[in-house]
Amino acid sequence: MDSKPSAEPLSGGRKPPTPVKIVIAGGYGVGKTTAVASISEIPPLRTEAAITAVGAEVDRPGHTPGKTTTTVALDFGCITIDEDVKLYLFGTPGQDRFGFMWHDLVVGALGALVIVDTRRLDDCYPAVDYFEKAGVPFVVAVNKFDGMLNHDLNDVRWALAVSDEVPLVTFDARVKLSVRDALLAVLRNTFDRARSRAGA
Amino acid sequence: MTGPADDRDVTLLRPYLMTSGRSAPVDHTIEIEAQVITSARGLAEHPMLSFERRDIVSLCRTTMSVAEIAAMLKIHIGVARVLVADLAQLGYVVIRRPDTQTPQDLAMIERVIRGLEAIR
Repeated sequence: MDSKPSAEPLSGGRKPPTPVKIVIAGGYGVGKTTAVASISEIPPLRTEAAITAVGAEVDRPGHTPGKTTTTVALDFGCITIDEDVKLYLFGTPGQDRFGFMWHDLVVGALGALVIVDTRRLDDCYPAVDYFEKAGVPFVVAVNKFDGMLNHDLNDVRWALAVSDEVPLVTFDARVKLSVRDALLAVLRNTFDRARSRAGA
Repeated sequence: MTGPADDRDVTLLRPYLMTSGRSAPVDHTIEIEAQVITSARGLAEHPMLSFERRDIVSLCRTTMSVAEIAAMLKIHIGVARVLVADLAQLGYVVIRRPDTQTPQDLAMIERVIRGLEAIR
Protein backbone atom coordinates (compact mmCIF):
# COMPACT_ATOMS: atom_id res chain seq x y z
CA MET A 1 0.00 0.00 0.00
CA ASP A 2 1.40 3.32 -1.03
CA SER A 3 1.19 5.70 1.90
CA LYS A 4 3.02 8.57 0.20
CA PRO A 5 1.78 11.99 1.28
CA SER A 6 -0.31 13.56 -1.43
CA ALA A 7 0.94 15.96 -4.05
CA GLU A 8 -1.93 18.31 -3.27
CA PRO A 9 -0.88 21.88 -2.45
CA LEU A 10 -0.70 22.91 1.20
CA SER A 11 -3.27 25.63 0.62
CA GLY A 12 -6.05 23.25 1.59
CA GLY A 13 -7.48 22.74 -1.87
CA ARG A 14 -7.42 26.43 -2.67
CA LYS A 15 -5.54 27.24 -5.83
CA PRO A 16 -2.65 29.69 -5.73
CA PRO A 17 -3.57 33.10 -7.19
CA THR A 18 -3.44 33.73 -10.92
CA PRO A 19 -0.35 35.83 -11.64
CA VAL A 20 -0.57 38.72 -14.08
CA LYS A 21 2.21 41.16 -14.88
CA ILE A 22 3.15 44.54 -16.25
CA VAL A 23 6.67 45.19 -17.51
CA ILE A 24 8.37 48.45 -16.56
CA ALA A 25 11.16 49.39 -18.93
CA GLY A 26 13.52 52.28 -19.45
CA GLY A 27 17.18 53.22 -19.18
CA TYR A 28 19.31 53.00 -16.07
CA GLY A 29 18.43 55.45 -13.35
CA VAL A 30 15.19 56.51 -14.97
CA GLY A 31 13.02 55.58 -11.99
CA LYS A 32 11.93 51.99 -12.62
CA THR A 33 12.90 50.66 -9.21
CA THR A 34 11.54 53.81 -7.56
CA ALA A 35 8.21 53.30 -9.32
CA VAL A 36 8.05 49.64 -8.28
CA ALA A 37 8.97 50.54 -4.69
CA SER A 38 6.32 53.27 -4.52
CA ILE A 39 3.42 50.90 -5.16
CA SER A 40 4.60 47.37 -4.35
CA GLU A 41 3.29 45.62 -1.24
CA ILE A 42 6.67 44.07 -0.64
CA PRO A 43 10.02 45.87 -0.73
CA PRO A 44 11.27 45.46 -4.31
CA LEU A 45 13.24 42.29 -4.80
CA ARG A 46 16.18 41.91 -7.12
CA THR A 47 17.18 38.85 -9.06
CA GLU A 48 19.69 38.13 -11.75
CA ALA A 49 18.62 37.21 -15.24
CA ALA A 50 20.62 36.32 -18.30
CA ILE A 51 20.16 38.40 -21.41
CA THR A 52 21.50 37.36 -24.75
CA ALA A 53 22.37 40.67 -26.28
CA VAL A 54 22.45 40.81 -30.05
CA GLY A 55 24.25 43.97 -31.03
CA ALA A 56 24.29 43.56 -34.79
CA GLU A 57 21.52 46.08 -35.41
CA VAL A 58 23.07 48.83 -33.39
CA ASP A 59 25.46 51.27 -34.97
CA ARG A 60 27.58 52.45 -32.13
CA PRO A 61 31.14 53.62 -32.41
CA GLY A 62 33.41 51.04 -30.91
CA HIS A 63 30.55 48.60 -30.54
CA THR A 64 31.38 45.19 -31.92
CA PRO A 65 28.46 43.47 -33.55
CA GLY A 66 27.89 40.02 -32.24
CA LYS A 67 26.23 38.15 -29.49
CA THR A 68 27.12 38.37 -25.85
CA THR A 69 25.42 37.05 -22.78
CA THR A 70 25.24 39.42 -19.88
CA THR A 71 23.56 39.26 -16.55
CA VAL A 72 21.18 42.03 -15.67
CA ALA A 73 19.33 42.83 -12.51
CA LEU A 74 15.59 42.43 -12.58
CA ASP A 75 13.75 44.41 -9.92
CA PHE A 76 10.22 43.46 -9.13
CA GLY A 77 7.36 43.90 -6.74
CA CYS A 78 3.74 42.84 -6.48
CA ILE A 79 0.24 44.05 -5.73
CA THR A 80 -2.66 41.89 -4.57
CA ILE A 81 -5.58 42.67 -6.86
CA ASP A 82 -8.09 40.41 -5.13
CA GLU A 83 -7.98 37.02 -3.45
CA ASP A 84 -7.35 35.22 -6.72
CA VAL A 85 -5.25 37.65 -8.75
CA LYS A 86 -1.78 38.96 -8.04
CA LEU A 87 -0.15 41.64 -10.18
CA TYR A 88 3.62 41.52 -10.63
CA LEU A 89 5.66 44.51 -11.77
CA PHE A 90 8.94 43.68 -13.42
CA GLY A 91 11.39 46.53 -13.89
CA THR A 92 14.20 45.88 -16.29
CA PRO A 93 16.98 47.79 -18.00
CA GLY A 94 15.99 48.83 -21.45
CA GLN A 95 18.90 50.40 -23.23
CA ASP A 96 20.51 47.25 -24.50
CA ARG A 97 19.43 44.85 -27.15
CA PHE A 98 16.96 42.28 -25.96
CA GLY A 99 17.26 38.56 -26.18
CA PHE A 100 15.32 35.54 -25.06
CA MET A 101 14.88 36.85 -21.56
CA TRP A 102 12.85 39.71 -22.94
CA HIS A 103 10.60 37.33 -24.77
CA ASP A 104 10.07 35.44 -21.50
CA LEU A 105 9.41 38.66 -19.72
CA VAL A 106 6.76 40.02 -22.05
CA VAL A 107 4.82 36.85 -22.92
CA GLY A 108 1.40 37.23 -21.39
CA ALA A 109 2.15 40.69 -20.00
CA LEU A 110 -0.86 42.98 -19.62
CA GLY A 111 1.28 45.70 -21.13
CA ALA A 112 4.38 47.76 -20.59
CA LEU A 113 5.24 51.12 -19.12
CA VAL A 114 8.25 52.72 -20.76
CA ILE A 115 9.68 55.31 -18.39
CA VAL A 116 11.42 58.22 -20.03
CA ASP A 117 13.82 60.82 -18.73
CA THR A 118 13.58 63.78 -21.11
CA ARG A 119 17.27 64.55 -20.58
CA ARG A 120 18.19 61.13 -21.96
CA LEU A 121 15.44 60.30 -24.39
CA ASP A 122 17.47 57.88 -26.47
CA ASP A 123 17.84 55.49 -23.52
CA CYS A 124 14.34 54.26 -24.12
CA TYR A 125 14.49 53.76 -27.91
CA PRO A 126 15.32 50.02 -27.73
CA ALA A 127 12.40 49.37 -25.37
CA VAL A 128 9.94 51.28 -27.58
CA ASP A 129 11.31 49.48 -30.62
CA TYR A 130 11.03 46.09 -28.95
CA PHE A 131 7.46 46.53 -27.72
CA GLU A 132 6.34 47.82 -31.11
CA LYS A 133 7.82 44.84 -32.92
CA ALA A 134 6.61 42.33 -30.32
CA GLY A 135 3.10 43.81 -30.41
CA VAL A 136 3.06 44.48 -26.67
CA PRO A 137 0.71 47.35 -25.82
CA PHE A 138 2.71 50.05 -24.09
CA VAL A 139 2.43 53.52 -22.64
CA VAL A 140 5.26 56.05 -22.50
CA ALA A 141 5.53 57.74 -19.11
CA VAL A 142 7.70 60.79 -18.65
CA ASN A 143 9.09 60.83 -15.13
CA LYS A 144 8.98 64.38 -13.77
CA PHE A 145 12.14 64.35 -11.72
CA ASP A 146 12.01 67.98 -10.77
CA GLY A 147 8.32 68.59 -11.13
CA MET A 148 8.84 70.12 -14.56
CA LEU A 149 9.46 68.97 -18.08
CA ASN A 150 12.37 69.88 -20.26
CA HIS A 151 10.27 69.17 -23.31
CA ASP A 152 6.72 69.60 -24.43
CA LEU A 153 4.98 66.20 -24.56
CA ASN A 154 4.44 66.61 -28.29
CA ASP A 155 8.18 67.06 -28.71
CA VAL A 156 8.71 63.84 -26.79
CA ARG A 157 6.27 62.01 -29.04
CA TRP A 158 8.00 63.39 -32.09
CA ALA A 159 11.47 62.51 -30.79
CA LEU A 160 10.44 58.96 -29.94
CA ALA A 161 8.59 58.60 -33.24
CA VAL A 162 5.72 56.75 -31.60
CA SER A 163 2.31 56.75 -33.22
CA ASP A 164 -0.61 58.80 -31.92
CA GLU A 165 -2.19 55.61 -30.62
CA VAL A 166 0.55 55.20 -28.01
CA PRO A 167 -0.58 57.04 -24.88
CA LEU A 168 1.93 59.48 -23.43
CA VAL A 169 1.60 60.41 -19.77
CA THR A 170 3.63 62.23 -17.16
CA PHE A 171 4.04 60.87 -13.67
CA ASP A 172 6.19 60.99 -10.57
CA ALA A 173 7.81 57.63 -9.81
CA ARG A 174 8.14 58.56 -6.13
CA VAL A 175 4.40 59.02 -5.62
CA LYS A 176 2.27 55.94 -5.11
CA LEU A 177 -0.96 57.27 -6.64
CA SER A 178 0.94 58.73 -9.57
CA VAL A 179 2.46 55.30 -10.29
CA ARG A 180 -1.00 53.74 -9.89
CA ASP A 181 -2.40 56.14 -12.50
CA ALA A 182 0.43 55.36 -14.92
CA LEU A 183 -0.29 51.63 -14.50
CA LEU A 184 -3.99 52.31 -15.05
CA ALA A 185 -3.08 54.07 -18.31
CA VAL A 186 -1.25 50.89 -19.36
CA LEU A 187 -4.24 48.69 -18.53
CA ARG A 188 -6.79 50.96 -20.22
CA ASN A 189 -4.63 51.06 -23.33
CA THR A 190 -4.42 47.25 -23.35
CA PHE A 191 -8.16 47.03 -22.74
CA ASP A 192 -8.96 49.35 -25.65
CA ARG A 193 -6.69 47.42 -27.96
CA ALA A 194 -8.13 44.07 -26.91
CA ARG A 195 -11.67 45.35 -27.34
CA SER A 196 -11.08 46.80 -30.78
CA ARG A 197 -9.42 43.54 -31.81
CA ALA A 198 -12.35 41.52 -30.46
CA GLY A 199 -14.77 43.80 -32.28
CA ALA A 200 -12.89 43.65 -35.57
CA MET B 1 23.37 -2.98 -14.16
CA THR B 2 23.78 -0.64 -17.06
CA GLY B 3 25.07 2.25 -14.96
CA PRO B 4 28.81 2.04 -15.63
CA ALA B 5 28.33 1.79 -19.41
CA ASP B 6 26.06 4.82 -19.36
CA ASP B 7 28.56 6.75 -17.31
CA ARG B 8 31.25 6.25 -19.93
CA ASP B 9 28.94 7.66 -22.56
CA VAL B 10 28.46 10.97 -20.81
CA THR B 11 32.07 11.96 -20.24
CA LEU B 12 31.97 14.64 -22.93
CA LEU B 13 28.80 16.25 -21.75
CA ARG B 14 28.67 17.08 -18.09
CA PRO B 15 25.13 17.41 -16.88
CA TYR B 16 24.15 20.53 -15.09
CA LEU B 17 25.29 19.83 -11.55
CA MET B 18 22.52 21.59 -9.74
CA THR B 19 19.87 19.57 -11.53
CA SER B 20 21.37 16.35 -10.15
CA GLY B 21 22.65 15.03 -13.41
CA ARG B 22 19.46 15.32 -15.39
CA SER B 23 20.42 16.84 -18.70
CA ALA B 24 17.01 17.09 -20.37
CA PRO B 25 14.99 19.76 -18.60
CA VAL B 26 11.43 18.82 -17.77
CA ASP B 27 10.09 22.20 -18.67
CA HIS B 28 12.23 25.25 -18.17
CA THR B 29 9.75 27.57 -19.83
CA ILE B 30 7.95 28.17 -16.56
CA GLU B 31 7.12 31.86 -16.38
CA ILE B 32 8.97 33.90 -13.79
CA GLU B 33 5.66 35.06 -12.29
CA ALA B 34 4.26 31.49 -12.04
CA GLN B 35 3.04 30.75 -8.51
CA VAL B 36 4.66 27.90 -6.60
CA ILE B 37 3.31 26.20 -3.50
CA THR B 38 4.64 23.20 -1.60
CA SER B 39 2.56 20.00 -1.52
CA ALA B 40 1.94 17.79 1.49
CA ARG B 41 4.44 15.36 0.02
CA GLY B 42 7.01 18.09 -0.40
CA LEU B 43 6.56 19.16 3.22
CA ALA B 44 6.94 15.59 4.46
CA GLU B 45 9.94 14.72 2.36
CA HIS B 46 11.85 17.97 1.93
CA PRO B 47 14.39 17.21 4.71
CA MET B 48 15.67 14.48 2.42
CA LEU B 49 16.26 16.82 -0.48
CA SER B 50 19.52 18.62 -0.98
CA PHE B 51 20.46 22.30 -0.94
CA GLU B 52 18.38 24.57 -3.14
CA ARG B 53 15.68 21.98 -3.70
CA ARG B 54 15.11 21.69 0.02
CA ASP B 55 15.18 25.47 0.38
CA ILE B 56 12.58 25.92 -2.36
CA VAL B 57 10.18 23.37 -0.90
CA SER B 58 10.65 24.89 2.54
CA LEU B 59 10.17 28.46 1.26
CA CYS B 60 7.05 27.71 -0.76
CA ARG B 61 4.93 26.75 2.23
CA THR B 62 3.74 30.26 1.46
CA THR B 63 2.82 30.69 -2.19
CA MET B 64 5.35 32.70 -4.15
CA SER B 65 6.54 33.32 -7.68
CA VAL B 66 9.58 31.80 -9.36
CA ALA B 67 11.11 35.29 -9.38
CA GLU B 68 10.64 35.63 -5.61
CA ILE B 69 12.25 32.21 -5.07
CA ALA B 70 15.28 33.27 -7.11
CA ALA B 71 15.57 36.56 -5.23
CA MET B 72 15.12 35.04 -1.76
CA LEU B 73 17.56 32.19 -2.32
CA LYS B 74 19.94 34.38 -4.34
CA ILE B 75 20.04 31.95 -7.22
CA HIS B 76 19.96 32.74 -10.92
CA ILE B 77 16.43 32.92 -12.23
CA GLY B 78 17.19 30.30 -14.91
CA VAL B 79 18.32 27.87 -12.21
CA ALA B 80 15.19 28.56 -10.17
CA ARG B 81 13.02 27.71 -13.18
CA VAL B 82 14.70 24.37 -13.77
CA LEU B 83 14.61 23.39 -10.08
CA VAL B 84 10.96 24.36 -9.71
CA ALA B 85 10.04 22.36 -12.82
CA ASP B 86 11.88 19.35 -11.37
CA LEU B 87 10.19 19.64 -8.00
CA ALA B 88 6.80 19.92 -9.67
CA GLN B 89 7.41 16.74 -11.64
CA LEU B 90 8.30 14.95 -8.41
CA GLY B 91 5.08 16.18 -6.83
CA TYR B 92 6.84 18.26 -4.19
CA VAL B 93 5.41 21.56 -5.36
CA VAL B 94 2.36 22.64 -7.34
CA ILE B 95 2.65 25.38 -9.96
CA ARG B 96 -0.03 27.83 -11.05
CA ARG B 97 1.07 29.19 -14.40
CA PRO B 98 -0.22 32.42 -15.89
CA ASP B 99 -2.58 32.46 -18.82
CA THR B 100 -0.70 33.72 -21.86
CA GLN B 101 -3.97 34.96 -23.38
CA THR B 102 -4.45 37.46 -20.56
CA PRO B 103 -3.73 40.53 -22.77
CA GLN B 104 -6.91 39.65 -24.71
CA ASP B 105 -8.99 38.81 -21.66
CA LEU B 106 -11.23 41.84 -21.19
CA ALA B 107 -12.77 40.59 -17.94
CA MET B 108 -9.34 40.00 -16.41
CA ILE B 109 -8.04 43.41 -17.51
CA GLU B 110 -11.12 45.07 -15.96
CA ARG B 111 -10.57 43.13 -12.78
CA VAL B 112 -6.99 44.36 -12.50
CA ILE B 113 -8.14 47.93 -13.25
CA ARG B 114 -10.68 47.72 -10.41
CA GLY B 115 -8.05 46.32 -8.08
CA LEU B 116 -5.64 49.15 -8.86
CA GLU B 117 -8.36 51.80 -8.58
CA ALA B 118 -8.99 50.58 -5.04
CA ILE B 119 -5.45 51.59 -4.05
CA ARG B 120 -5.48 54.82 -2.07
